Formats: sequence, structure tokens, C-alpha cells
Amino acid sequence: MAETTVDIIETEEGQSPKNIQRFLTFVSDNITFGVSTDYVIEIISSYMICTLPMVPDYIKGIINLRGQTIPIIDIRLRMGKMPQDYTDATCIIILEIKDISVGIVVDSVTQVLDIDLDRISPIPTQNQQELTSSMISREDGSVILFLDCEELISQ
Amino acid sequence: MDASMESLLETYLFETNSLLDGLDELLINAEKIGDFSEDDVNEIFRSMHTIKGSSAMLEFNGLMEIAHHIEDLFFYIRENGIDSLDQTHKSELFNLMFKSTDKLRSEIEKVENNEPLETNIDSFVGEINGLLKKISGEGSDTDDSKDSGKAEAPAESAKAAIPVSVSDIPYFIHVYFEDGCGMENLRAFMIVNALQERELEFTYYPDDIDRNPDSAEKIIEDGFYIGFHTEEALENGATVVGNAQNIRSYEMMENQESPAPEEHEPEEKAAPAEKKAAPPAASAPAKNKSDAAPAKRKEAASHGAVKQDLISVNLSKLDALMALVGEIVITESMVTSSPDLQGLNLDNFNKSARQLRKLTDDLQDISMSLRMVSVSGVFQKMNRIVRDMKQNLNRDVRLTIIGENTEVDKTIVDGIGDPLMHIVRNAIDHGIEENVEDRIAAGKDPQGEVILSATHTGSEVIISVSDDGRGMDTDAILAKAARNGILTKPESDYSQKEILMLLMTPGFSTNTEVTEYSGRGVGLDVVKKNVEAIGGVVSITSELGKGSCTTLKIPLTLAIADGMEISVGKSIFTVPISNIRQSFKSTESEIILDPAGHEMIRCMDAFYPIVRAHELYNIPDACTKIDDGILMWVEASDKSYCLFVDKLIGEHQVVVKPLPPYLQQFHIKDSGISGCTILGDGNISIILDIAHVYEAARGIF
Repeated sequence: MAETTVDIIETEEGQSPKNIQRFLTFVSDNITFGVSTDYVIEIISSYMICTLPMVPDYIKGIINLRGQTIPIIDIRLRMGKMPQDYTDATCIIILEIKDISVGIVVDSVTQVLDIDLDRISPIPTQNQQELTSSMISREDGSVILFLDCEELISQ
Repeated sequence: MDASMESLLETYLFETNSLLDGLDELLINAEKIGDFSEDDVNEIFRSMHTIKGSSAMLEFNGLMEIAHHIEDLFFYIRENGIDSLDQTHKSELFNLMFKSTDKLRSEIEKVENNEPLETNIDSFVGEINGLLKKISGEGSDTDDSKDSGKAEAPAESAKAAIPVSVSDIPYFIHVYFEDGCGMENLRAFMIVNALQERELEFTYYPDDIDRNPDSAEKIIEDGFYIGFHTEEALENGATVVGNAQNIRSYEMMENQESPAPEEHEPEEKAAPAEKKAAPPAASAPAKNKSDAAPAKRKEAASHGAVKQDLISVNLSKLDALMALVGEIVITESMVTSSPDLQGLNLDNFNKSARQLRKLTDDLQDISMSLRMVSVSGVFQKMNRIVRDMKQNLNRDVRLTIIGENTEVDKTIVDGIGDPLMHIVRNAIDHGIEENVEDRIAAGKDPQGEVILSATHTGSEVIISVSDDGRGMDTDAILAKAARNGILTKPESDYSQKEILMLLMTPGFSTNTEVTEYSGRGVGLDVVKKNVEAIGGVVSITSELGKGSCTTLKIPLTLAIADGMEISVGKSIFTVPISNIRQSFKSTESEIILDPAGHEMIRCMDAFYPIVRAHELYNIPDACTKIDDGILMWVEASDKSYCLFVDKLIGEHQVVVKPLPPYLQQFHIKDSGISGCTILGDGNISIILDIAHVYEAARGIF
């Protein structure tokens, strides 16, 4: 499970207890993204992707996860970035979004954070990335973009 | 609604639906002969009785009322014999019965959809009572005062002449059932049956337990009396009662004041009781007083046996079982062909592994067969459609059913109902000539014939609907298609086959007039879509003036297939064995190019196009020279071609898994992929859909 594989849990300061949600952060193309742990099923790092013909390039194929077949999306390609060879740090985050399971290939997974939803702000339009709509800037100056999961599975 | 109620409702719906289906079938058959047999009458009576009882239990009063009044009607018919009805009454009865089953069915549908039930059924009930009055008014002098709510009016009055009094009988057993065990009348009836099996002579009170649910009340209050004429019978009876279930207490009593046993009465009473006693519970023929009884009882007994051997299981449980068995099959081969075992000499392990394999194979076969049901249910529904159309369109058509016992997967049976209905309707509405004169002029039997047949061929079931009507006018079809603007190439380029395929294009309907049954222009394209959804193909053949035939080819099951694993580059694909005709090596020199540059090869004196899998799917590192790879001659529906692959890996039974739903949006089916399967080593192999591969390849050319 996500919470156990990534055990660094950082708490944001000035939290108000009601609007806290947990987010898993990961890095893709040097940008840190966050995805709500509500969607995350697990993180896997060993896999055999079976490629599918005649699909968009960001669909890497399907994997067999304990008898279930799960489509794999390369988040770099999905966002129109350059592809990169998969390394040991590369892993797949299995998400379940509205009963649809998909896996996303990310460069690396960093940590799980408790984030106050009230502090999330929309992204300025000139910096808009595909599949993201909101962001949060943290004390250390780093920025986390939040992945819009439902956008990910829609056409 | 709590869980127990839910499951009760489920059982109710299942039971009632199957009763109604059975009724429909019975009515159709009876109408063909134009008469109800005694068995039919009893069967209808019993079904209605059950529907009435269970509807009352679930408080569906409308349903109960209708069933109740039909029961009344058939009680009368049963008492007076079907022969007391003249022909017009019979046909009225048939129409009424069809209407009633429809009515009941529509109400049941409302229950299923959780819609409010119709509360005002008076007019319908009136109709039933009207017919009853009509019949009884002429058939006999019995009064019309049936509002007593009892079906037994005529019989009751007959019986009233012999008042049942326990005191006439010298010995009797007084039985009390356990409090709240429910259905006391039926429990009592089971005892009666058991006694009859022992060939005992006896009487019982209340004597209307098999017909009157209210008798349960009486039994609860006063107990159930069984009277015997001899002490021996009493002893015997006591052991039977002692063995029965849910009995709180029983006592044997001797009636001191009883006069000498009246010879006449028990005879009289036992006979009707026996005649009426044809419930499913009866398991052995008891002593028979009338000649008709043995056959009837026997049939009832076999009915009982069939019913008791069936249980209904929720389909989702079966699906879960199937999925699990699929997993076991995969895991088994993962274990037995584990790379860790390579090079080890494990005699005992191999022995056990073989045993395990055999068991998993058996398990798989059995779990597969659980889902197989015969198509007869769907076929019988067509009978009804033909009958209705016959009446409303005034065409004389008979439906011949062949091979209705063919078994296919449950999902497929569910899937073919609607398409089949469309096709049968089309066959009658568009196929069979409107005027009998036209048929006679063409030298055909004045009565049109629609043949519905199902046959197995290996891994497919072929369902065809053929009529001997006027056939399809290809010119008219072409002209119409041109008018509707659905032609994609010049008219002269269309072959006969292609023209007939136009019928299945969306927005095509040859009938200019819209009837109740067909001609809305949403016919065959919907059929095609529905059939394709369950992995089948539709084809139409027709000869002008002689009739047409619509054929559905549908895979027997969607879940497991025999597949040939092939490799192309690093990818592994599975081709269903049923599609493969031949695999062979060839050389570059045998390849012929057509003017457009497409490769072809000669097999068995015919030329077939070659589809290179690596080109189609852009697979790197694959064999590109024909000499290095292998050609696989494949066939699916009307397509036949050679698929060029790297090599054959081996034959396997594979568990077909659908592709993840997310991928559907990329139209993955159109690229020739029908699903995937998990191999023994945990990798995934893609299952190719041979027909679609060819289409995808043609798209690239």
C-alpha cells in the first residue's frame, strides 16, 4: 500500500484539522505532482508491460496485476513531454478512478503529504499544464501540481 | 426491503417468470392443436394457483386477483371437462389466456423495475369472469355466484351433499402442526400423499387442502383429521404421520359411536381427491381408480423430479466462480512450469502436478458447463411472436423449430433474444407474401414457413432464421440504399452479398410503411450491433422468389477458448484455434503481387491475401522475410486470408479476459484485438479477432 511503501509523512504547518487530505507526490519530468491517496491503490516497481498495437503512444500497454489487466499510461507522454528510458526509480502508480483502474508511469515516487485543501490555489493560466488545475506552494519554495484524475481517464 | 425479503422477491420473480414462460409454451402448443388437453388444464390451474399463492404472500394483490380468477375459470373447465366448451369459446379462451399471461408478465416487469403496480384490474377481471359466465351459462346449470372467492363453487355444492363429518369413521388420527411452521394445508397435503403412496384407504378433513389456502387456518385451529376404516390402516397411517415433519402432536382416536363404515362415501371421496392430486410432490403413482389417472400422475411425478433437481443461482456468483477457476488454471500452470523447477528431477512432484492438472481441467469443464443453458427458452418466445403477428397481420405462417436443445452460454442466450425477435419479425413482415394467392401462384404451400434452427459447429453455434417467402429484391435494396445515400461506391460495383449487407447499415428499411412490428428503420443494424456485442456475426442470403435466410454465428462461450500462441517480434498473440485452417512455410518466390501491390499466396487452388502482422501492428525486430516466418491460413465468417507471423509457440486453452474498459475509447476492437489472456508465466497475450484484423489491415492498404 502507498502509505507503507512511502513512509515519510510530513505535516504541513498551520493546518486546520477539517480540510486535510493525504496526497501522494511523485516526480515526472522534474515537476512534482500530487495525487489524492483516495485514488491510489498501490505502487509497483516490477512489471512486464504487454504493448498494444494501434493505440496512442502514451498508452504503454497492459499489465497483469494478480489476474487483473490494467492499462498503463505514461504520464510524460500523456502530457506531451519527451519520453525517457525507464530506470530503477521508474514505477507505476495504480489508481482507481470511478471504478476504472489505470496505472501511470512516473519517474519516481517521493512521499505522502497531509495537505490542507484550503491552501490549494488554481494554477495561473500561463503556466497551465495538461491534466492539472490546481497547485500548492510549500514553505521551502517548492511547488506541487495536483493531478486531475478524472481528466486523466476521460477522452 | 431487507435482505430476506429481497431474496424472497428474487425467488418469486424467477419462479413466476418461469411459470409464465411455461404457460406461454403450453398455450402456443395447445392452440396449434386447437384444444386444451386435460393435462394442460391441470397445468394452467396449478401454475395460476402458485402465482396466486406467492403473489398473495408478497402482497401483490393485482397479480393475485388475476391469477385467482383465471384459476376459477380453469377450475370450472377442469370440473366440467374441456369438451363442454364449444369452438368459439375455446378460441376466446385462448385469446383471453394470451392476454392474461401478457398482463401478468407486464405486472411482473413492473415489480422487477420497482414501479407501482396497477391497482385497477376490475375491467380485466371482469373480462375473465365474463368468459366464465358465458361458458358456465351454457355448459351447465351451475350458479354464477362465484363471488364467494372460492374456485370450487360447482364442486363445493356437489360435495355439500355429502357433509364431511369425522364422526362417521371408526378410527382417525388428529394431527396438529408446529406453531408458525406455515403452509399447514400443504403440509397436510404431503401427509395425504404419503398415505396414498402406502395404498391406504382413508378420508381427511378439511378435504380441500390442495385447493383452498384458507384451509391452513382451519388446520391451525382445529387440527387435521385423517379417518381410517380399519385398525390396521390406522396403525399404518400413524407411522406415516409419525415420520412427517413439523408435527407438534398427533393422537390416534377411536370413534365409539361410529356406525358401520359407509362403503360409498370413502370411495367417492378418495376418487376426486386422487384425481385432483397431481402436485409436483407426488413421487410415485398411488392406486388409481380411473384410467386417465396413471398417465397423469406419472407425468406429474416426472415434473416433480425435474423441478427438485434444479436450483437457481445468481449469475454474478457463477461469474465469480468462473473468474476464480480461471485464476486457478493460470496459477496451476504458473506453479507446475515454474522456472525454479527447471532441470530438477522431481518424480513425485510431477505425478502430483499431473493429478492437479487433471483436476483443474475437470473443474474448468464443470464450471463452464454451469453457464450453459439451452436456447429453447428464447426459441419458444418466438412462437408467441409468430402467433401474434399471424393474428394481427393476417398471414398464415407456421414456425418450425429445430435444435432448440442446443446449449450455449447464458450471456449469449440473453443476448440473442432481441436480435432473434427482430429477425423473425422481419421474416414474417417482409419475407412471407402478403397474399395467399401470390404464394399459390408461385407454387408454394399456402401456409408460409419460418424455420428457426440452432446447431453446434465446434466452437460456434449457428442460429438461422429462414423463410420461404418472396426473397429479397436486390435491385430494390440497391435503389433504396442509393436514395438513402448510404452507398459508398458506384452501384454497379456491388455484389449480391454486399447488397444484402446494406440491409444492416444504420437507417435502412425496405418497407415504406411502418407497421407495429417492423419498418421503423432500426431493424437489422441493431441486430448486427447486438450480435457483434456477443462476438457473433450476422449474414443474410436470399434468393428472389424462394425466400431468405438470416444466419447468426455466435461463439459458444465467451470465457474460454482454445488458442494458438504465436510470436511476432517480442510480442505474443493468441489466435483462436477455430479460426485456423492451416499453418505452413512458404518462400518469397511463391508470393504473387496484385496490381495494387498487395501480396497474395495460393492455397488449395485459390489465392488469398497475406496480412503481415508486424506491418499491421508496427512491431520491431520481427521476421520480414516470408522464408523466415510462417504463414497461417485463417478464416473468420466470410474472410479468409493468410497471416504472416514469426513462429508458432504452441496450443493452449486460454481464459479470455476482456480488455480494460478504459481502452475501449481507443476503438481497440477495430484494430483486431478481441481480448487478452494471461499466460502461465504471468505475461499477457493478446487475442486476435481474425475478422477484424483483416479489416484493420485493409484500412492500412
